[in-house]
Amino acid sequence: MADPLVRLDKITKRFGDTTALSELDLDIAQGEFVTFLGPSGCGKSTTLRILGGFEQPGSGRVLLRGDDVTRLPPERRNVNMVFQDYALFPHMTVKQNIAFGLELKGMGKAEIAARQDEIMSFLELGAFGGRYPAQLSGGQRQRVALARALAPDPALLLLDEPLGALDAKLRGQVQQELKSIQRRTDKTFFFVTHDQEEALTMSDRIVVMNKGKVEQDGTPEDLYFHPASRFVAEFIGETNLLTGDLRGTDGDAVVMDWFGQTLRGHAPGGIPQTGAPITASVRLERLGCHATRPATANAVQGRVVGKTFLGSRMALDLLVDDARGARLRAYVDARTGQSVGDAPVWIGWDESSMAVLRD
Amino acid sequence: MTRHNRILLSCVYWAFVAYVFVPLILMVLMGFKDSKFIGFPIRSYTTDWYTGVLQDTETLTAFGYSVAIAVLSTVISVLVGTWIAVLLEGRKFWGRAVILGMTILPALIPGIISAIAFRIYARLLGIETGMGAIVWSHAVHNVPFVVLVVMARLSTLPKSQIEAARDLGADPLIAFLRITFPYLVPAIMGASIFCLLLSFDDFVRSFFLGGYEPTLPVLIFAKLKSGMSPEINAIATVALVLTAVIGVWAERFTRRMNKD
Amino acid sequence: MTFPASAREERGATAARDRTFWGKLSGWAPYGAALRVATASPRRQFLILAICPVIWVLTQHLGPMVQMLRVSLTDAYPVAPGTPQHFTIEHYLAFFHDPLFWQPFFRTLSFAGVFTFCTLVLTYPVAYFLARHVRPKNRMLLLLLLLIPFWVGEIVRTYAIMILLGNTGAVNLVLKWIGLIDRPIPFMYTSFSMGVGIVYLTALYMLLPLYSALEKLPASLNEAAADLGAGAWTRFRRVTLPLTLEGISSGCTLVFLISTGFYATPVLLGGPSTTVFAETIAGFFHVAGDQWPTGAAFAIIMFLAALLVTAAFQKLMSSLRKGDSK
Repeated sequence: MADPLVRLDKITKRFGDTTALSELDLDIAQGEFVTFLGPSGCGKSTTLRILGGFEQPGSGRVLLRGDDVTRLPPERRNVNMVFQDYALFPHMTVKQNIAFGLELKGMGKAEIAARQDEIMSFLELGAFGGRYPAQLSGGQRQRVALARALAPDPALLLLDEPLGALDAKLRGQVQQELKSIQRRTDKTFFFVTHDQEEALTMSDRIVVMNKGKVEQDGTPEDLYFHPASRFVAEFIGETNLLTGDLRGTDGDAVVMDWFGQTLRGHAPGGIPQTGAPITASVRLERLGCHATRPATANAVQGRVVGKTFLGSRMALDLLVDDARGARLRAYVDARTGQSVGDAPVWIGWDESSMAVLRD
Repeated sequence: MTRHNRILLSCVYWAFVAYVFVPLILMVLMGFKDSKFIGFPIRSYTTDWYTGVLQDTETLTAFGYSVAIAVLSTVISVLVGTWIAVLLEGRKFWGRAVILGMTILPALIPGIISAIAFRIYARLLGIETGMGAIVWSHAVHNVPFVVLVVMARLSTLPKSQIEAARDLGADPLIAFLRITFPYLVPAIMGASIFCLLLSFDDFVRSFFLGGYEPTLPVLIFAKLKSGMSPEINAIATVALVLTAVIGVWAERFTRRMNKD
Repeated sequence: MTFPASAREERGATAARDRTFWGKLSGWAPYGAALRVATASPRRQFLILAICPVIWVLTQHLGPMVQMLRVSLTDAYPVAPGTPQHFTIEHYLAFFHDPLFWQPFFRTLSFAGVFTFCTLVLTYPVAYFLARHVRPKNRMLLLLLLLIPFWVGEIVRTYAIMILLGNTGAVNLVLKWIGLIDRPIPFMYTSFSMGVGIVYLTALYMLLPLYSALEKLPASLNEAAADLGAGAWTRFRRVTLPLTLEGISSGCTLVFLISTGFYATPVLLGGPSTTVFAETIAGFFHVAGDQWPTGAAFAIIMFLAALLVTAAFQKLMSSLRKGDSK
């Protein structure tokens, strides 16, 4: 197999006493939409800036199509970036902004004009060629930034939270657009965000970062339903965390004891080896409420102590029997939610719905 | 209470306006007096003093000399000042505070001391008194103002602008020429006008570093020492109108720039 | 839309001629080579950027002061060929020997102090009015109105004051006209006329720092103080004044330094009894028999004195500020 498009090899970066990245390894394949997700200060922006050439790693290598580009300045890398504030040049028109990178690639004037037209019609910017950035709306500016970065045909496109400046309504629409542009151009997108919803919607692959390290790397579905660590389980979506004692394994299943109940789950992040109590995560919508004991691998009894109507569905707060006040929260469809009374209910979930976390 | 305060304060303000304007207005009026003697009241008016001044080679030469000095010294100040500003703004390095302090120094030295220091240094450098020496002293004296204005503007340039240019293939020099410099142009224009006026109005340095040929302020000073005459009013009025017009225009210009 | 962009390899000599200026420049081999050498390391890049400015400020900004200090410490300057130069502090000592020297010196410092205070008292209400009682929309206009006269040069404005205060000047004319005086009051060539002139020349340098300090002050502070029952005077003394000390401090420093440096204005507006130190210093440079070392020594004395006074003043102001925040 050929080299991956991008390979980060044991990248470490320190700013003073704080370690922004420690020994980061990562491969990105051609045509992937990869999202780096994490809270601020997790190292995602530093990774992006190292890829763009704006920061030099303390140690480690950056390979682009097999070539070591670690020490190359930004202007000599075939990587372009869409900046958080778009960084459109205010004294240049849309056309001049797009031409900037093309001129410096050494393209002829005719070639530049052709490329400008091509990319502007592709991104539906045709009518705005003569305008200055100040005369454009937020969404239009975002498209110009994208056009300017795509025009020189980079091997990798970096996107630094480019949706942060847009209002919520527009953001949803632009997310779809970005995804479709990425599909149609077959470019590799490296997207950085702290917004988990954005990451889930657009990405082929999400890398969750925390404190300079990769917490988990996988598809959006993987991360959501099979979180490897407590950080991932809590950072992405809402979840129930169950803390109990490890009993052992049964084939692929991990068996744990939770207030006297034996529960079966799986361990995407590996089975914790410590003797300390372990934690498992079950998503709210994976819990089912039943009048009788369900046939699922795990089932506990409890009472409904609170209901929250959410439109299409309902959130139930359940007090588990004989569990020292432990509660679970479940999403059920609105009709089921209404029918549930004060009578005891059975709460059931599958083995595959419960992820035992590695920490 | 507040109401009274407000009225009182507005009176103070307009009194202050009178204080800064009345002397100048009287001076302009006096240039039209149809008599050799400076003093009130003015009984009849004439424009003879102005026509005289506009035909007087000494005045016109001094005027041209002042303008030439202003332009030349401004070019030097702007080049050097912009360079220093680019070095100092947004960069941390050992000795930065010292260099910044030394940069500002010429603006803080009281006029007479600055003039004397330049006079002594000119001899060390072998610069003859005269136009070269005046241009040089004005250039050095005005650099701090350029640095402050350009640094202020530069500090508002988002870092991402330069990074975007680099990202799209511009080396550091091309990024400076195509992004930073256009961004600085309004500040450089404003600073240039400020320098032009400072140089054109300067007396003390021109006086101590000048040769036989006087700049306009030095000429007015020399004429004043030998006695007041409406002719001086006419010369001063021409200088006043010129500087005030350029000054107002520059104010408006910089204000518009700051709005962008 | 094609990715990768079509016909990459076909670009050749024809396209190269068609490049834009920037494309040609960045593609020009000698330029690229030179740049690569210059930017080989961040350190080298920084040195290339820093070397010219550093040399300039050292030789042009610091140099004149250093050379003046050197000259002030030599027995004769310029040196006649063949004669050795000696180190001496006699020029500094000369200052203390003759009241003709130190009287103008102390006069300059005290005048500058008094004029600075006058400027402060005069401009504070103006700045206060602009920042507090004028709508933001009109503020700039009213401020600009005040700036116009300050674009006019030192000499022209000094002359305007001469016309205003002369025996046949406007002030005397008005006083006579309303019957307050019979004979003109001799304003000119006194410390009064000099003060009017210097305050006139420096007011702007006080006004702008005061204005910006006052403008930064949120109006809500004053309202809060009023709400707590503070009267107008108390509000000013306890709230506004302490919070604008910084503006006062920088305005006064600036005006003081500028006031000590005036030469033409005291010559034109002052008399024999108001000789300032600038005139004394200038005297050593006018006479044919060069007495530069003495003049240089006096200039140094004056510079140090002015710095000392402003430093002491700033120290006082900052201790006032700290005392207030407690």
